Amino acid sequence: QLRLSVNAARDFTLRIQRQNRASPHSPSPPPAAAAMASKPVTAPVPITWYPTLAVFMLSIGLLITASFFIYEATSSRKTRSLPKELTTGALASFFLGFGSLFLLLASGVYV
Amino acid sequence: FPPVSFLSLHHLCLLLPSLPTDATAVRVLLSGDFKVSQAETRPGNDASDQLGAAAMEASLRAHRPAALLIFAFLSLLSVSSSAAQEIQILNAERRIDLSSQVAIVFLTLKVENTGKAAASDVLLAFPPTEAEHLAEVKAQAASGKKRKKTYAHLIVEPTDVPDAPNGAKGFRLALHNPLSPGETTTIEVLYMLTHSMEPFPAEISQSDPQLVYYRDSAYILSPYRIKQQTTFIKTPSTNVQSFSRVEPTNRAGMELKYGPYEDLPAYSYSPVLVHFENNNPFAVVEELVREVEISHWGNLQITEHYTLAHGGAKLKGVFSRVDYQSRPSASGVSSFKNLLARLPPRVHSVYYRDEIGNISSSRLRTDSRKSELEIEPRYPLFGGWKSTFIIGYGLPLEDFLFESTDGKRYLNFTFGCPLSGTVVDKLTLKVVLPEGSKDPSAVIPFPVEEHMETKYSYLDVVGRPVLVLEKKNVVPEHNIPFQVYYTFNPIFMLAEPLMLVSTVFFLFASCVAYLHIDISIRKG
Repeated sequence: QLRLSVNAARDFTLRIQRQNRASPHSPSPPPAAAAMASKPVTAPVPITWYPTLAVFMLSIGLLITASFFIYEATSSRKTRSLPKELTTGALASFFLGFGSLFLLLASGVYV
Repeated sequence: FPPVSFLSLHHLCLLLPSLPTDATAVRVLLSGDFKVSQAETRPGNDASDQLGAAAMEASLRAHRPAALLIFAFLSLLSVSSSAAQEIQILNAERRIDLSSQVAIVFLTLKVENTGKAAASDVLLAFPPTEAEHLAEVKAQAASGKKRKKTYAHLIVEPTDVPDAPNGAKGFRLALHNPLSPGETTTIEVLYMLTHSMEPFPAEISQSDPQLVYYRDSAYILSPYRIKQQTTFIKTPSTNVQSFSRVEPTNRAGMELKYGPYEDLPAYSYSPVLVHFENNNPFAVVEELVREVEISHWGNLQITEHYTLAHGGAKLKGVFSRVDYQSRPSASGVSSFKNLLARLPPRVHSVYYRDEIGNISSSRLRTDSRKSELEIEPRYPLFGGWKSTFIIGYGLPLEDFLFESTDGKRYLNFTFGCPLSGTVVDKLTLKVVLPEGSKDPSAVIPFPVEEHMETKYSYLDVVGRPVLVLEKKNVVPEHNIPFQVYYTFNPIFMLAEPLMLVSTVFFLFASCVAYLHIDISIRKG
């Protein structure tokens, strides 16, 4: 009876230790949720694309910024058209904004 | 009437035919002082006890109307206590493992329902000093024969035991199938006590081994009567300086045996003291603040602030580095110099630093199932010495964040300290949810304190909601997954890039405005 109870104590602690050793790995989703077929949440854009996207969007944005300033420099007050300026500015700011976001994400600052 | 509520139907029926065997036990119970050693006042011998039980059965049948009247009177006095007295424990065995700094106690109870009604709960009692150091209580009910045992996990809840003497704390185990009268069941309970080993002498020099006191009771404290009980204490080495004797007591190598003791009444207690050598590292994390920051762009960033201390006997005298390095087996046997942190797999950007800067004495080993970070503080830790440091790492989001079918997202993460073999006095876990999250709620298997905060991080306007969970007395058994649920509208993820876009557009618009505004003073 003594040996049996020693084994029972060892089995209980082993079972609990096995549960705990299993958990530091990526914990499996709770059984109820697994039954509900929970799916993992991933980033909207694959993470491996972040550096490429950053480079391309920033370069496009800088090209459009350059075209904006060239337009400003080469046009006189009479030939300037406000809508063209604003659209160029908006497009440039869109690409620069997203490009800087992807630049932050690619360098490890997960905003 | 606390003393009167001890009296149950059985005790009164015993008093009716005036059997003297249990009267002394009843008198001691009435005085409410269970610290008095019960050795002298125990009932005489087994034979008279069986006679008493048989007479009790006969008297029950004979005095039925009187019994009913008394039962009605008692039920008016205190209803809850009558349930506690209808159970008795036939056989109790307790195994205390003192090999590490946490005392692990494994209790096997063979419970019998001697009352008339089905019992749905079993109560456990702990003395108040033990209850405040109690880290974890787990219970399971065993059923089936010796080889084919099946175990069903039982829910344990702290409860108030109204008639507990000297402030004993109670825990209620809810049985899956209520125990019918006359039936027996076996229940196994595992509980852990932190800071229950007191170093004595409290200060030692570098070449001394560490000796500690362990205080407990030879009799298992229980709200029920125990027919037969034994307690085994396992020490980490054969060096036991002294131990109290409560006959019959035996010592064989690393195991001390107290018992078997026959037929003890409820709440019997006999304090014992064991003085033994324990050189296992007493690594205590006095405070741990873990911050888990969720970013929906694909990363989980964890930052942990540790205050590590050596909780054993303090070092007196000087620390000699020469002795420590030349004779490691004789010098600083109770100190420790490295710790192992078990991290999830696919961990990246791990850093280990303190206020001075980076600590380079660390090693990270990764494989597909786990990562192990072995850290070495700047100096080995002796008794009373402390060390503070910060460990941080990043994890991929898809391993931990899931979306349930009702649209809520939840984080599935492990509670507890990743450093193995440590006891945490106070653990604060902060889960930082992305900006725009609503209705956070946590699902945790054990009780914690929760409250909300706000944190301002990168590109934040209104701040991120932070769910703060606090727990005291955390042991490695608490490293189990928990979930934090919240709702998040994915459109809020656009808030960050749109903020950047609008800032850049503001610059362009101001440039356009500057070029169009004419502020010169001239004709025309």
